[in-house]
Amino acid sequence: MASIDVNAGPQPDDAVSVFERHRSELRRQRLGMNILFIGAFLLALGLSIWVSRFYPDRLAAGLPRIFEYFGTIMPDLQFDVLFEGRGADGRAVPGSLTYWYSDFNVYIRLIVETIFMALTATILGATAAFLLCFPASRNLAPNSFIYIVSRRFMEICRGVPEILYALVFVFAIGIGPLAGVLAIAIHSAGALGKLFSEVNENASMRPVEGIRGVGGNWFEEIRYGVVPQVMPNFVSYTLLRFEINVRASSIVGFVGAGGIGAELNRVISLYSDDRVVAVLLLVVITVTLIDLLSEQMRTHFIGRENLQ
Amino acid sequence: MTAMTLQSISSSDIASVRQSHPQAFGSTFSTITRWAIWLSVIFYVIGSLYYFEVYRLLDASGRALNLIAAFFNWEDMGEWQYRQIYIGIAQTLGMAFLGTLLGTVMALFIGFFAARTTMPFVVVRQIVRRILDILRGVDQLVWGLVFVRAVGLGPLAGVLAIAVSDTGTLSKLYSEALENVDRKQVEGIRSTGAGPLKIARYGYLPQVLPIFISQSLYFFESSTRSATILGLVGAGGIGMIIIERFRANLFDQVAFVVLNVLVCIFVIDWLSKKIRARLIGETSH
Repeated sequence: MASIDVNAGPQPDDAVSVFERHRSELRRQRLGMNILFIGAFLLALGLSIWVSRFYPDRLAAGLPRIFEYFGTIMPDLQFDVLFEGRGADGRAVPGSLTYWYSDFNVYIRLIVETIFMALTATILGATAAFLLCFPASRNLAPNSFIYIVSRRFMEICRGVPEILYALVFVFAIGIGPLAGVLAIAIHSAGALGKLFSEVNENASMRPVEGIRGVGGNWFEEIRYGVVPQVMPNFVSYTLLRFEINVRASSIVGFVGAGGIGAELNRVISLYSDDRVVAVLLLVVITVTLIDLLSEQMRTHFIGRENLQ
Repeated sequence: MTAMTLQSISSSDIASVRQSHPQAFGSTFSTITRWAIWLSVIFYVIGSLYYFEVYRLLDASGRALNLIAAFFNWEDMGEWQYRQIYIGIAQTLGMAFLGTLLGTVMALFIGFFAARTTMPFVVVRQIVRRILDILRGVDQLVWGLVFVRAVGLGPLAGVLAIAVSDTGTLSKLYSEALENVDRKQVEGIRSTGAGPLKIARYGYLPQVLPIFISQSLYFFESSTRSATILGLVGAGGIGMIIIERFRANLFDQVAFVVLNVLVCIFVIDWLSKKIRARLIGETSH
């Protein structure tokens, strides 16, 4: 029986030492990658601190002012007159809810306009996306030219932020909610079109082949083979988009494209301090309510188990 | 019912089948509901477009065409201040990076306070979640405006705006990841008598860190997109340059800047997809 001399060869090849060799090799490799990643990260961090002038002294000077500002925009409410209505002379008592929300009717009208803007823009955008998504799906496009053109078109639609489109539309057709609706509709068409075409690409092709087999043309293949499969997902994505569009239409007003955004911009830049929280609160409540509502509708449409 | 061939089916056969199996043909009620929904949607769109004065498009079409022509009629390209443009783009990227990083660091802590698995006190969890809802519910542009009021014009306001809204969203996503962890590892650490900090470090973090990093990378992308417009309210970055040129009717330069921004976002998109694939493997997303 031959004894094994552990120190004999320079490279013993029993299992343990092979494992150890391999492990140290891997560790070296990972160490190199880690140093590279950390170096790149620190470089990016340094550069971004430098270009955005995020220096400790500026931050130290700025931070207290942030809290100061949040202090000044808080409403001055007094509990004893909180629910006081307007007096006989039509004036509200300072410190009451009526005083804080004295422009309540204006805000509500603008909020309703904002929701309608989002709804119209979502319907228009979803319709455009519905028409665009079939030629933009790899498995359904009639030919590669149409496929590439419709893909690029949707990329341009969603690549530019909606507020830039709004800026352009305000310039072209004037101030008002129409500019906002068109801007959000274009952005939605691009964003939804991408999601829709991904759904199409995951759809089963068997119904399509069946319809092709009995002599259906391209439109009939789409109408009877694909649409019934993908419709629940389309509805769910459109509802999700509606939520996003409510947020978007609450800010396009900053550039004059209608909705509550104009009022928000006005109260913030005119130092109407307690009004800022008044408007913001309404916007947050609206957005939250619509979130909850559309989540309910989504689960109703496609069932909770299909959501994820 | 007797067996029939395809040729022998008459309309009266179809009528009798419809009578005996109404469900297969769809009930009259559901057909009417469907039509009612479609009609009301169409009426709503027509009505709302009329309310939004869609006819103004007719007057504006000439002006819009001129504008589109102005976007692509590039003149005096030698005199465009490229230095200013690229500094603006770099500033936007820097703002997005720093803002997302700050949001990530904040969310790393706050996420644990918002997850059902790591925060047993309902009251604390609910308060933290409602605060996060507000951070998320207010648009980033509004945060930008608010911080411009507080710390003055410039990229610092932009960084803070991105950080705050990213904290809101990332904390929520992080807490969802924490709620989906495998409980066995956490129980294992707990059984050794470790305190809450050690449980978080060795029980939760190894499981959720790849998800956290991947989500933060996504948010770097999306923050770059949204940071391009923060300049519209004076919060630094390329948006300031875009709106300046737009107000000065230098539409060709606006188009050039926007194209450059799109290329940048495309590159970041591609790069972060690569990094994500390296970190968590191709299949996870």
